[in-house]
Amino acid sequence: MKKNLRHAGGGSRSKQSPCPWGVFSRVNVRFLIYSLAFLLISLQASAQNISISGIVTGDDGLSVPGVNVTVKGTTTGITTDANGKYVLSAPGDATLVFSFIGYTNQEVQVNNRTTINIKMSSNTTTLNEVVVVGYGTQQKKDLTGAVSVVKTKDIQKRQATTIAEAMQGLASGIKVRGGGQPGSEAQIQVRGLKNFSNTNPLYVIDGMITTANRDFNPNDVESIQILKDASAAAIYGSRAANGVVIITTKKGRQGPMKVEFSGKSSFQTIPRYDLAETDEFARLNFMAYDNANVQHQDLDLNNNTDWQDVTYRTGNIQDYNMNFSGGSESGNYFVSAGYFGNKGTVISTDFDRLSLRVNTQGRKGIFTIGENLAISRAKTNEMSGNPIIDVIRLLPTIPVYDPANPGGYGYGNEAKARTFATNPVAIADLEDRINENTRIRGNLFAELQFLPWLKYRLNLGLDNSNDHYKYFRKEGNWTLNQAYDPAIANENRAESINGLVENTLTFNKTFGKHVINAVAGQSYQRINYAQIWGTKRNILFNPSIGQYYDVLDQGNEPQTGGFRWREDLISYFGRVEYSFNDKYLFNAVFRSDGSSKFGPNYKFGHFPSFSGAWRISKEDFFKVDWINDLKLRASYGTLGSNNINQYEYLAFINTFSTAAFGTGQTTQTGATQVQLANPDLRWETLQQQNYGFDATILDNKLTISAEYFISKTKDVLIAYPLLLSTGNDGGNPRVNGVSLNNRGFEISANYRNDSNPLKYGVGFNLTTLNNKVTDLGYNKNKTYVGNTVTEEGQPIGMWYVLQTDGLFQSQSDVDNYKNAEGKTIQPNAKPGDIRFKDNNGDGQITNDDKVVVGSPWADYEIGLNFNASYKGFEFSMDWFGSFGAKVFNGPRSVIERFDDNSNYPAGIQPWTPENPNTTTPRAYYGSTLNSRGDTDRWLENGSFARMKYIGLTYNLPTEWTKKIGFERAQITISGQNLITITKYTGLDPEFSNGSIFEKGYDFGAFPNLKTYSVGLNFGF
Amino acid sequence: MKKNIIRLTFLVILTVASSCKKSLLDQSNPNTFTTNDFWITENDAQKGVNAIYHMFYQNGGFNRWIYFRLDLTSDEGFSKSPWIELGDWTRFQYVNYNFWEGNVNSFRDVYKAIFRCNQVLENVPKITFADEAKKNELLAQAKFLRAFYYYYAAILWENVPLVTTVQTPTDLPPQGTVDQVWAIVDGDLNDAINGLPEQYPDAEKGRATKGAAYALLAKALMQQHKWAETKTALDWLVTGAGRQYYDLVNFVDNFRADNENNKESVFEIQFSDANKTAEGDGPSSNMGSNRPQFFAPRSIGWSDGQARYWLVDEFKKEKTVSGGIDPRLRYSLFYPALEADFGDKIYGRSWEWGADEAWFKKYSRDYYRTNEDYFSQVNNRVIRYADVLLMYAECLNELGQTADAYQYVNRVRERSNMAPLATAYPAIGNNKDAFRNRLKEERVLELCGESVRWADLKRWGDLDTQAGVNAVAQRDPDFNNFVVGKSIRLPLPQTEVLNNPNLHQNPNY
Repeated sequence: MKKNLRHAGGGSRSKQSPCPWGVFSRVNVRFLIYSLAFLLISLQASAQNISISGIVTGDDGLSVPGVNVTVKGTTTGITTDANGKYVLSAPGDATLVFSFIGYTNQEVQVNNRTTINIKMSSNTTTLNEVVVVGYGTQQKKDLTGAVSVVKTKDIQKRQATTIAEAMQGLASGIKVRGGGQPGSEAQIQVRGLKNFSNTNPLYVIDGMITTANRDFNPNDVESIQILKDASAAAIYGSRAANGVVIITTKKGRQGPMKVEFSGKSSFQTIPRYDLAETDEFARLNFMAYDNANVQHQDLDLNNNTDWQDVTYRTGNIQDYNMNFSGGSESGNYFVSAGYFGNKGTVISTDFDRLSLRVNTQGRKGIFTIGENLAISRAKTNEMSGNPIIDVIRLLPTIPVYDPANPGGYGYGNEAKARTFATNPVAIADLEDRINENTRIRGNLFAELQFLPWLKYRLNLGLDNSNDHYKYFRKEGNWTLNQAYDPAIANENRAESINGLVENTLTFNKTFGKHVINAVAGQSYQRINYAQIWGTKRNILFNPSIGQYYDVLDQGNEPQTGGFRWREDLISYFGRVEYSFNDKYLFNAVFRSDGSSKFGPNYKFGHFPSFSGAWRISKEDFFKVDWINDLKLRASYGTLGSNNINQYEYLAFINTFSTAAFGTGQTTQTGATQVQLANPDLRWETLQQQNYGFDATILDNKLTISAEYFISKTKDVLIAYPLLLSTGNDGGNPRVNGVSLNNRGFEISANYRNDSNPLKYGVGFNLTTLNNKVTDLGYNKNKTYVGNTVTEEGQPIGMWYVLQTDGLFQSQSDVDNYKNAEGKTIQPNAKPGDIRFKDNNGDGQITNDDKVVVGSPWADYEIGLNFNASYKGFEFSMDWFGSFGAKVFNGPRSVIERFDDNSNYPAGIQPWTPENPNTTTPRAYYGSTLNSRGDTDRWLENGSFARMKYIGLTYNLPTEWTKKIGFERAQITISGQNLITITKYTGLDPEFSNGSIFEKGYDFGAFPNLKTYSVGLNFGF
Repeated sequence: MKKNIIRLTFLVILTVASSCKKSLLDQSNPNTFTTNDFWITENDAQKGVNAIYHMFYQNGGFNRWIYFRLDLTSDEGFSKSPWIELGDWTRFQYVNYNFWEGNVNSFRDVYKAIFRCNQVLENVPKITFADEAKKNELLAQAKFLRAFYYYYAAILWENVPLVTTVQTPTDLPPQGTVDQVWAIVDGDLNDAINGLPEQYPDAEKGRATKGAAYALLAKALMQQHKWAETKTALDWLVTGAGRQYYDLVNFVDNFRADNENNKESVFEIQFSDANKTAEGDGPSSNMGSNRPQFFAPRSIGWSDGQARYWLVDEFKKEKTVSGGIDPRLRYSLFYPALEADFGDKIYGRSWEWGADEAWFKKYSRDYYRTNEDYFSQVNNRVIRYADVLLMYAECLNELGQTADAYQYVNRVRERSNMAPLATAYPAIGNNKDAFRNRLKEERVLELCGESVRWADLKRWGDLDTQAGVNAVAQRDPDFNNFVVGKSIRLPLPQTEVLNNPNLHQNPNY
């Protein structure tokens, strides 16, 4: 038989001879060898199948539905029905594995029995959880790499638009920032900043490589795992450098139809500044003008507008989901429908999502077919302008409405209120931005279980989004001296089609004490995107009904455009897991990726990884009673990133540079290169070592996992700030420029005590991270961006500013402030002005006096989760804390500057001769000399601890629920972000900034909201 | 059976695998040419040159910010902008050298334009043309435009990086002294003069001509006080072969969208309101000027810049031969008595601003609108013949040919009904200094608000001594902040100094 097979293999190859082998890569051949190897070593005869049935019961003797019963070494298996019964066919010498979350796995030799009843004992550890690791699953106990499993329950209890936003603090090594704004998508960072392009991890939803953006319904999630280290993520080689988030959606289970409903209703409030009202504002404003010897402006003291009041409102979220699921031996189904509606805390902002999902699966013999399909429709009414900044810039003396202005809204006025701040009420009315899309996302898969230990799977994925953006501007103004614009309509429509074809072959086999799991596969992904847009001006208005006809048929001066791009990725991959006696575990992964984004010589990247683990607790010499399980792990691997735009390695010609010539001023076309390009762009590679252990101690009550990792990213794709003298525009071209090091330590510990009626658990996770730039590329050793410097050997984006040294209290202070040579350093200063440190001692304050004063990076971040249940009550609480970062409070630099008109913080005490005991310099209108932003004046301690979630659930007693026909019902009240402990004086220390170099700069980011929710869940 | 299944497996996998040919990865940009596909035809060369002219429409240059550097920084204008930092950059209070609007945007756009010039100069010589003269003409236009941008770089920052080739991302060009920058300007213009035509057909008006190159060369040489060479350059326009193309026209026709590219125009930026969109390199980007939107009076435009009131007084010092007010005032400034003096309202309004305020009127569109926007189609007559005549007069005076210089000043005065200079100011005679001093006033009356004053002040050395600065500060108190030896040039963008080790910040910054 061995011979025949070899012959068959050879035959297949020769049949392919018409195929142009020359275009195949060596990788392809390597892939073949893999496949062949698996087949060769797996030649074992198998016994005849027999039918086996039985009932699974728990400790209490009651039947347990939903238990996974699988034939060991295969993926054949089913789940027990509502009565705990199962029937399946397996070879007479097989081993059945019974697993169910919360119970200890049991393995039973069939020994040709046809009835096997099992009693399962509940456990308190999570070691037996099945973890999805990409193209397969592993039991958590067998993991050799760093994988975090986020409890879906913890995600779904929170009220969040996206999955990412809900994950903050639930797993070590994960940093999440953002959210809050309707339809906004949070930023997520796995194990620190490893590149400069995009920190978002790769999302894999049911095997489809996609993104878990705002149109994905978190309620459909069955499980989430985060692959953090190289060995775990390497199966997704390319694009895995930022980690991989694997999401599996819910499936139906065998049994009659189950219906579940969950409804959550929340209201949200936005944090606010305490700002001066008109009386205080006028006093301070006049003080600033008087000090500058400028005549007061004619403030309209009859107005006292609270701009936060008119701009902000109580937001709310309605989140309703209903699902239907069930199945039989030959198939199962899961159907869900959801509605998510979010009325924003800023006027004229909202988000709506309708989602529908159908997941089904059918089986006949060795053939399985199934699909996971979601259709969603999302619509965002986007925020115009930045009200977070505008509400603090607007003066309280400006009225909201002013009929004298075009459009009828109040704003700055040269005589009465000199500010260019935007009236948020005006812009909310006059400008409308709607972003909507319909997305079809899912996969269709077919599996052939040729042999108990060999399975072929074809996976076809699709992510298709039709996007529509609409901008409409009415006639009217929202700021002082604004240029005239007529009514303008702009629309664009776009479509993206992301298709995936994957073939995998999975091999699972046990030989005595040896267990081998292997997978080999090939994948092809193509993404097409195309957009068209059009704009018209002077949109038709109907004065009798006060309405515009905001369609592109109306108006004139048309402008149109459109573009498209495509990207292809070809991959080959394989993984071998081997374990001996459950004691020694090895794992090897290889992936080879070819990307169309790179130039001819750099398309393919190869990403190997290796890991191993030693279950030391299983050794005979290991006799520590209080340790139930202890596993040591180590891994090393390489990951990649191709996070750049399409065609970026090509320098191209911009054909839009038109110019007018001639007496008729006719437009002639021009063409030129605008953006420079680096033709040698190649894969960014991340090499990561990971060392860790997993321990279960104290009678399985306490589990601890700890990791230490060292990652080196080379050839980081960075949009390096080019010299202006290059003349480059259109964005800095990416280059494989930088090398980065990240070292970090992560620990998570969970304690659970279920032995009393009062059951409780405490979870703790801690992440430390240290990033360092080891090579800056372009033969440089420093790069300056804004108030930051990035130097070799230092973390990215260190604060680089002038140091303040208190205030001058008197003229003699000023006169005596001299350098070593006796030169007066700030001769023009007056008492009450800021004293700056003359760090280079040259007797004047210049840019050369700037020094590094702190890091925008947190020293460590902590998540703390607590839950308890007593009878029908469940209580849980999550905290998240981040400590040690220094951050720049941008909004504060606006309201405390005084040189330009803005509102001021209530109670601020600028220096005056009568009130010298203050840190705020004297108020001085019209000069930036005393209010420059490149100083440490507005750098603050960004540490905080925040209660992300608190909730109390009451499960109605089953005797009550049964009476109304429900199997279960629960009511939850909860709150998010209710308590924040911090010294940061801005709205939210948990802000996000998209600039890599200025991560710690709060430019007026949209804050996290306080959310109060009531939820109802029931099922029947 | 099993054997067949295994065979089948291989077949399926191989079929699918072989369908993934590597050639799928060879994707080219479906949206536009790569640089390798371009610079092949004559048409490519023409487009490459057109793209340089497009730089006139970008924010850092004559679309917007350069007027702040030239008009507002000079003693003709100032800023009362509520945007304090924007105003600070018109009164020598440079704190953050990376201020985009005040410094970096203009610096970047100078080099963006030079990049476009260098692309043409490097690539076009390799293209085969049916008519070699056409090729030379295009190359000459690129040289003219590169000189144009280096001229303004020399006026504003002086010691800028020398970039005469297409840069790669890693290039760190050397810093030039102002003399080295002038050398590029002079060299490029001498080359351009040889290749440029004397006139263009109507449909191509707006491109650089031989006369424009001579005039710009003269401007550059005058800044270097190379008077003899200046005269040589200007001879072609004033007394030589080129004089037939140029004349003075109605004064007002220099500042409106009507009668553009007339005989007075020596070099004129062609603005158009065809694309009412944002400036930049996108499809259909704006080809208009933002100037009037930024300089229009309060509540009409941003009012970020306005004229100093001494200009109004200057106009009123001397009457026309018929005893009237200098008619140039009517089209130069908005001022309180405009309606009383000439019967003109301001954007349809009577004067509603301060009694001591004035605004720049040239290039404004109040002659037919009551508001402004970002899309002004009024061409900017960067060099007009009246300027050339006054330059020629200045040059002759400096060369000691003062008597000869009178006729050119008179020609400009005559157009506005002003008496001959010798009649109005008999005391000047052939006194070189007195003539120069009078010429300073003549230039203001004729050219105020046309972005030449900053170069004039530098050339005259009025800002080289504290006494000179004090005199200027009498007209414009912003000059009280002026530090001799420092404020004469802008600071280089700080990021550029930090990121290019070959670059040093300008003195005293």
